[in-house]
Amino acid sequence: MTDFTIWLESSALGVWTRESPSIWAYPTVLTLHTVGLGVLVGANCVIDFRLLGFAPRLPIPSLAPLYRFMWAGFVVNAITGAMLFVSNATTKARQPIFYVKLLLIAVALLVTAVIRRTLARELSPGGIDPTPAPARRLAALSLALWTGAIAAGRLMAYL
Amino acid sequence: MIAGLRISVASLLAAGVLLAAMPAAAHHSAAAAYDETKRVEAQGTVSKLLIRNPHSWVFLDGTDDKGQKIEWQIEMGGAPSMAWAKDGLPIGMAVKVTGHPSRAPGTYGITGATFAKKDGTPIGPRSARGDTPQQ
Repeated sequence: MTDFTIWLESSALGVWTRESPSIWAYPTVLTLHTVGLGVLVGANCVIDFRLLGFAPRLPIPSLAPLYRFMWAGFVVNAITGAMLFVSNATTKARQPIFYVKLLLIAVALLVTAVIRRTLARELSPGGIDPTPAPARRLAALSLALWTGAIAAGRLMAYL
Repeated sequence: MIAGLRISVASLLAAGVLLAAMPAAAHHSAAAAYDETKRVEAQGTVSKLLIRNPHSWVFLDGTDDKGQKIEWQIEMGGAPSMAWAKDGLPIGMAVKVTGHPSRAPGTYGITGATFAKKDGTPIGPRSARGDTPQQ
């Protein structure tokens, strides 16, 4: 494991992200990681809050295109996240909170997929209001998981 | 029902925000590791430069009050803020540094460092003086 993370760190990508003095290197990668997070979790929040009963005049099926935004945000963050990891791989691979973050993201994505299937199967077309309790519970769980994933990611700088 | 739901969602979010914000505040002021109410002055020769993201480091060979050899570990900003140091802080150069000392007893850490030559002439761009590293 350590050999692998040392190899990652000394790769051209790792060295560039860690050591380039360019504003287009680390600062831009980190900024894009934040933008991707905003798009991915922001789109999730819209659907989760709608399922919880906010903005009741928004037809739930009309929110389906938001899943494309989630994908775009996820792809941006998978790429920029890999770059940030590679730049300090030995340190990050030793941080338990990093694995907590990955686990929370994995479970959150799973819940997102379940919500999407539920929407497609039960709530379309026209939507059902108020949203059935299981869908509301999923939405609350989704909000909690994404909040936890963000907190874990931020804590990587401190723990 | 809706009111109760709103309150529970709001408290859920508030808890998350607090959890994320508390250590962030500590980090951004660097107050967790360094005492920003104090200033310390260090003298020594540059022994090593680590210019990297998210934080760079400058190491100095120095001596403590009793004449024992010590190493000052100075935490700086990211690589983009350190372009001046490549030529401005050559290995072996004698420098004076002032900044905020690390809190942990027995350590010789500094952040928010201002660099000067031995005669007191400031080194580095204005923006590199007294900056606290942030992430």
